[in-house]
Amino acid sequence: MSEATCCACGLTASIRSLFDLNGQTFCERCVSTASREARDRGQPSIYMPLISRSICARCNTFIGEASSGVQIGGARFCQPCSILIKDWDYPVWLKISLASLLLLLVTALVHGHKYFHAGREMYRGERLVVQGRYAEALPHLQETLTVAPRSDKASLLAAKAAILSGDVASAAKALHDHDNGNYEDGQSAEFLEVSRLWDRANQALEKVDQAVKLAQQEGRSADAAQLMHEAASLYPQLPGVAFAAESLDGGAAFDRGDYDTFLRVSEKQWKENASSESAAQLSSALACKYAVTGNTSFRQRAQEMMERARDLAKDDADARKSLDEYAPRIQYRLDSRRVISKAEYDRIFRGARGPAKPK
Amino acid sequence: MFYIPGPVIAALTFPGIIIHEAAHLFFCRLFKLQVFDVCFFRFGNPAGFVVHQESEDFTALFFVSMGPFFGNTILCVIFCSAAFLPVWELKISDPLAYFFYWLGLSIGMHSFPSTQDLSHLWDKAPELAKKGNLLAILSLPLAGLLVVANYARVVWADLGYGILVGILGPIAIFKALAR
Repeated sequence: MSEATCCACGLTASIRSLFDLNGQTFCERCVSTASREARDRGQPSIYMPLISRSICARCNTFIGEASSGVQIGGARFCQPCSILIKDWDYPVWLKISLASLLLLLVTALVHGHKYFHAGREMYRGERLVVQGRYAEALPHLQETLTVAPRSDKASLLAAKAAILSGDVASAAKALHDHDNGNYEDGQSAEFLEVSRLWDRANQALEKVDQAVKLAQQEGRSADAAQLMHEAASLYPQLPGVAFAAESLDGGAAFDRGDYDTFLRVSEKQWKENASSESAAQLSSALACKYAVTGNTSFRQRAQEMMERARDLAKDDADARKSLDEYAPRIQYRLDSRRVISKAEYDRIFRGARGPAKPK
Repeated sequence: MFYIPGPVIAALTFPGIIIHEAAHLFFCRLFKLQVFDVCFFRFGNPAGFVVHQESEDFTALFFVSMGPFFGNTILCVIFCSAAFLPVWELKISDPLAYFFYWLGLSIGMHSFPSTQDLSHLWDKAPELAKKGNLLAILSLPLAGLLVVANYARVVWADLGYGILVGILGPIAIFKALAR
C-alpha cells in the first residue's frame, strides 16, 4: 500500500507525506491542528511520519504493520527493543562501580575520622578566637595540632590564642613545632599578625627580665617599676606583670620613704591576691608605719599579717625560704622602730657569716 | 586560556561523565520515561548520552534535565569533603584524600546539563511560568544561568564550578558542624 487517506480532510496521498497521531492518519496540513486538539483533550500529542511506523525507531528493523510492533510515545519498536526500553536497567558494571565507590567513601569517612575531629576542633577554636575567647580556644587548637602539626592555619591560630591569653610557652611550642617555624606563606595577614604579636610579647618579656634584675639592686625599685609597667602595657595579657609592676611601685615608695603609698599599695595587693608574699609585704608596710608613728595598732596588724604570711607559706618551700629571710627584718623594724634597707640590715646583722638573728 | 582536547578531558574526568548519565537514567526511571539508548562513556562528542521518551510532564522534564546538575554537585561536595580537611586545612599528605579530591572534582566538573537538556526546559518553562508553575519559575533563571555557564566551558567554567563547589561546600559543612 503506497497511499492512505487523511482522517481529518479526506486527502489521499503517498504514505511518505502522511503522519500518524494516536493511531490515526493525518496529512501534513491537519496534523499540527490535530496534535494541538489532542493535547487540549489531555491525550498524547506527539505524532510521527506514517512511514516510521514500519521500522523500529531504535534498531531500524522492518516491522511493517506487524502486531509485534509496540508503540511507545511517538515511536514504534520491534519486540526485543520494546522489552529493553520498557525496563532499561542499570548495567551490572555500573552497579558494582557505584557500590565500590560507596564502600570507598565509607572507608574514607572512617579513615578520615581523626581529620574530621581535628578539623572540627580547629573551626571551634577559630570561632572562639574570633569571639576573643582565647583561653577557651587554645585547647581546641592544640588538639588539632596533635593530628596536624603542619597545618599553618591551626598553628597560627593556636599561637595567636596562646599569646593573647598570656600563655607564652604554648605560643612558643605552637610556632616552633610547626616545621621549625617555617610557614607556607610568610606574607599572609594571619602570619604577619601573629608575628607582630609574638615580637611584642618578646619585647615585654625582655623588659620583665630587666625589671626583675633591677628590682634586686638596692634603690632601683623605681626603675624596675617603670620597666615592669612598660612590659604590662606592651603585653597586658601576660599574667602577673601588672601586679608585679604595682608591687614594685610599693618597693619604690619604700625606697623614697613614702610609707603611706607603700601601705596603700600593699593593702590593695593583699585584697587582690591573698598570698604569703602579699601578706609579708603588707606586714612590712604596717611595720614602717609603726616605726614612724609609734601607733601600736600598726604594730599589732603587722604581727598578725606576718602570722598570716607564715600560714600561707607552710605548704610552699620557696615562700617559706623567702619568709625566713624577710621576717627577721620586719621584726627588727617593730622592735627598734628603725627602717633600714636590706643591704644595711645584711651588713649589720648578717655580714659574711650568713643570716644572723637581729638584736 | 590553554586548550586540552575533549577526549583527554573526558578520559581524565570519566567518573563525572558516568555519574552524569547515570543521574539522567535514574530520573528517567523514576518518572517512568522510556529510555531508548544509553551511553555512559565514549571518546566522542558528546562523551555520554541518554536518549529517552519526551514527556509532557514538566516536573519529569525538569528533573531528568537538571538531575545530573544536582546529583553531581551533591556528590562533588561529599567526595571533596572527605578530602578537603587533610589536603587544604590540615596539610596532611594522604593519598586516599587526593584520590577523593580527583573524584570529587571530576564529578563536579560534569555537573552542567548539556545545552540540549536545557533547551527542553527553556522551550516549555516560560508558558508554564506564566501559569504560576513554581518549578518553571525556578527553572527559568537557573536554566539561563546554566546556558551561559555551558558556553563559558571554553574558559573552563566547568572546572571552576567543580573547584568552587569542592572547596566552598566542605568549608560551609564543617563550619556549620563546628557550631
